[in-house]
Amino acid sequence: MDWFVINLLNGLSWGMILFLIASGMSIVLGAMGITNLAHGAIYMVGAYMGWTVAMKWKATFGLGLLVGGFVAGLVGLAIERGLLRRLYKRPNEQVLLTFGFVYIITNLCLWIWGGWPRMPFTAEFLRGSFEILGRAYPKARVAVILVGLILAIGLWWLQDRTRMGAVVRAGMDDKETTMGLGINLDRTFTVIFFISSFIAGAAGVIGAQLLGPRTSLGLEVLLLALIVIIVGGVGSIQGALLGGILIGVIDTFGKAVFPQFAMFTMYLTMIIVLIVRPAGLLGRKV
Amino acid sequence: MKAVNDVSFSVGAGERLAIIGPNGAGKTTLFNLINGQLPATAGRIYFFEKDVTALPTHRRAHLGQARAFQIISLLQKLTVLENVLLTLHGTQPSRFKMLRPVQDFKDVFDDALQTLKTLGLLDKQGECVENLAHGEQRRLEIGLGLAMQPRLLLLDEPSAGLTKEEGVEVIGIIKNLGLDITVLMVDHDMEMVFEVAERIIVLHYGEIIADDTPVQIQADQRVREIYMGLEE
Amino acid sequence: MVAPKQQTDRDRLRSAMPYVALILVIMPFILSTYWEGLMTRFLIFALFAMSYNVVFGYAGLLSLGHAAFFGAGGYTVAILKLHYNVDLFWISAPLGVLVATFTAALFGIIALRASGIYFLLVTFALGQMLYSLAWNVKWLNSKGMQGITGIPLPDLAIPSFTLNTTWFYYMVLIFFLISAVLLYRLVRSPYGLALVGIREDESRMEAVGYNTWLYKYTAFVISGSFAGIAGVLFVYYNFFVSPNHLGIITSFLPMVMAIMGGLGTFLGPVVGAAVFIFVENFASIFSPQRWPLILGGLFVLTILFAREGIGVYLWRLWIGVSHRFGSSKS
Repeated sequence: MDWFVINLLNGLSWGMILFLIASGMSIVLGAMGITNLAHGAIYMVGAYMGWTVAMKWKATFGLGLLVGGFVAGLVGLAIERGLLRRLYKRPNEQVLLTFGFVYIITNLCLWIWGGWPRMPFTAEFLRGSFEILGRAYPKARVAVILVGLILAIGLWWLQDRTRMGAVVRAGMDDKETTMGLGINLDRTFTVIFFISSFIAGAAGVIGAQLLGPRTSLGLEVLLLALIVIIVGGVGSIQGALLGGILIGVIDTFGKAVFPQFAMFTMYLTMIIVLIVRPAGLLGRKV
Repeated sequence: MKAVNDVSFSVGAGERLAIIGPNGAGKTTLFNLINGQLPATAGRIYFFEKDVTALPTHRRAHLGQARAFQIISLLQKLTVLENVLLTLHGTQPSRFKMLRPVQDFKDVFDDALQTLKTLGLLDKQGECVENLAHGEQRRLEIGLGLAMQPRLLLLDEPSAGLTKEEGVEVIGIIKNLGLDITVLMVDHDMEMVFEVAERIIVLHYGEIIADDTPVQIQADQRVREIYMGLEE
Repeated sequence: MVAPKQQTDRDRLRSAMPYVALILVIMPFILSTYWEGLMTRFLIFALFAMSYNVVFGYAGLLSLGHAAFFGAGGYTVAILKLHYNVDLFWISAPLGVLVATFTAALFGIIALRASGIYFLLVTFALGQMLYSLAWNVKWLNSKGMQGITGIPLPDLAIPSFTLNTTWFYYMVLIFFLISAVLLYRLVRSPYGLALVGIREDESRMEAVGYNTWLYKYTAFVISGSFAGIAGVLFVYYNFFVSPNHLGIITSFLPMVMAIMGGLGTFLGPVVGAAVFIFVENFASIFSPQRWPLILGGLFVLTILFAREGIGVYLWRLWIGVSHRFGSSKS
């Protein structure tokens, strides 16, 4: 029984990180139609910055979180304003451009931080463990679940209950009419892109408690985000949450039951979802 | 609210039927259903006695449906000749040939040149479609629809964006069609509609509210109300 | 098919081809072994890029998992050597291409369930799935390492003849030329024109009678087959194959080459491959650490500023030059 609970908790914490990773990308994809393949690289920048602030400069984890998110947000902003804008109506080229940035950002991180992977790190007060069902369970993981839930609720609120969220959803359905209504879609989009990148960066720091910063993260995280999006569906927080938790739990139990073929549970889930519901479990028809 | 709700009608072979109605009445949706670009949620569609409800669009083209789109659907970045060749090959078995160049398929190629000649666009064959005037594009699009030798020609707002003269030209083309082609047309230009149609169906909010000859429709009280209500 | 003026330009390019082919044939006699190896590498990647051009340039399907087929071809050859000690080209190569084709047939069905954006994501994930497989499954690796090593030049079963690197270069050249001719015929055929039509406006093509799904699917599979050929040749050239050759890192390469050279033009990918190989070689001498950065930067710059590809600019340059010097011939 406790094996089950421990793995479930592991699955949930991993799932929360996956949700955080995927949510930003999913919203940008759904709202702006931009597939930002550099999303994983932006996550990585956040993780590295968080590490620098929290571990190298020995400031607090919280500060690392904020700085990581902020720097990541800036990187995203730079990409969007400076470059994606020029390719406004050319989705293929936008995608390719973002992919070029994966290379650039990854190599820059390599240049700045060097090739050796960092250990996972966490906040002072989160070191150590709780006792759950007679076993020691890391506080950090519990924190991840809680933070993830809070952020999920926050983003959900943003999506469903604010004007910006409404604008985004309207823009998703009918861009021309929304723009015709005089709403400054451009600025809203920039804000969304920034928020998406901020979340990615913050997720990088939060996730750094489980996945230490390393240069392979750019592509690894991208892949995870894509699988979550494919499974959960594009464009909604709910989709990202469902996809994230589902994949997180399936992957964790998969690893626990047959470690050799661990990754395949994720791929298998993805393929099944594709065959049965091509738009994702909670996806709208693309 | 359904875009098209409980719409039921038949079109006689060789008939010239026009469907009119205010914007959002469901006219383009109706075309999409007939054409197969939109699957029907309920009901059946029969094409010359064959149930085509489940048939994909490309198969309906082979059965004899041709469509001119509201927003000109010609491939803008390709040349006029390439557009014609593509359209003509569409219903030919040669369309899947992979090893010989397109020019080698002499029959289709000659047909293409002939079609262009008829349309008066032979000298423009090497031009990219996007460089043609709007009227020429419309003429080409309808001409290509006809080149498919269809049994049913679906014209979605053929007058859109045309000048008076160009509109007259289009009317002429439609009027010159033989009775082996049935014409189903949607348009807002009442002059064109009344010139060409022998029967008019009026759609409003996805439902048929009138189905009669042009003269009767003009006199119909409900129709006048709808259009009056929209007059600014 | 183009306007008459462009037609003669194209004819001119076509007539220059035999000379180019001649140069490619003579090369080994002029250049050192190092350059011969580089040329072999160029031809293999040019083929890989041309194969990608069919599915992306012509059919317009942005696939991020093309290396899956490249690697599948390569791994087949490698596995046959590793576990069954097969050296015979006439067994390994066809099987390699078959496996690549089969993989493309399978992946195509899954990937085409998704449209638009999803297609891209799915092809990426499927490619990474193969990468993961190659990484984790012991049977797919030589002892004690990632990947399979120890694949020598193939045995052609020609009595008293063994391949050396120069003969292998010629072999690659022959396969490249044959493939190029086949692909050229493909893109000039009604099928090829239809692919372009589908890329430009799929719903119109449907309305005109084309079964667009079938075209997209066959383009995907054909693309995969030719990628498989490149993969088979690659593993002989490279002596070893690794999971990276199945994943996005390698999938990125034909993309870069096709785009840098000119997407949707026939020779664009070849030009792109040449540029790539040249710059890669240059970078590996002066700054190997920064090569991905240079590559990424070049790629981004091409997309932003030279959207039609460097190849197209070269074409225009060539036309300008040949008009000036060849005006007496026209």
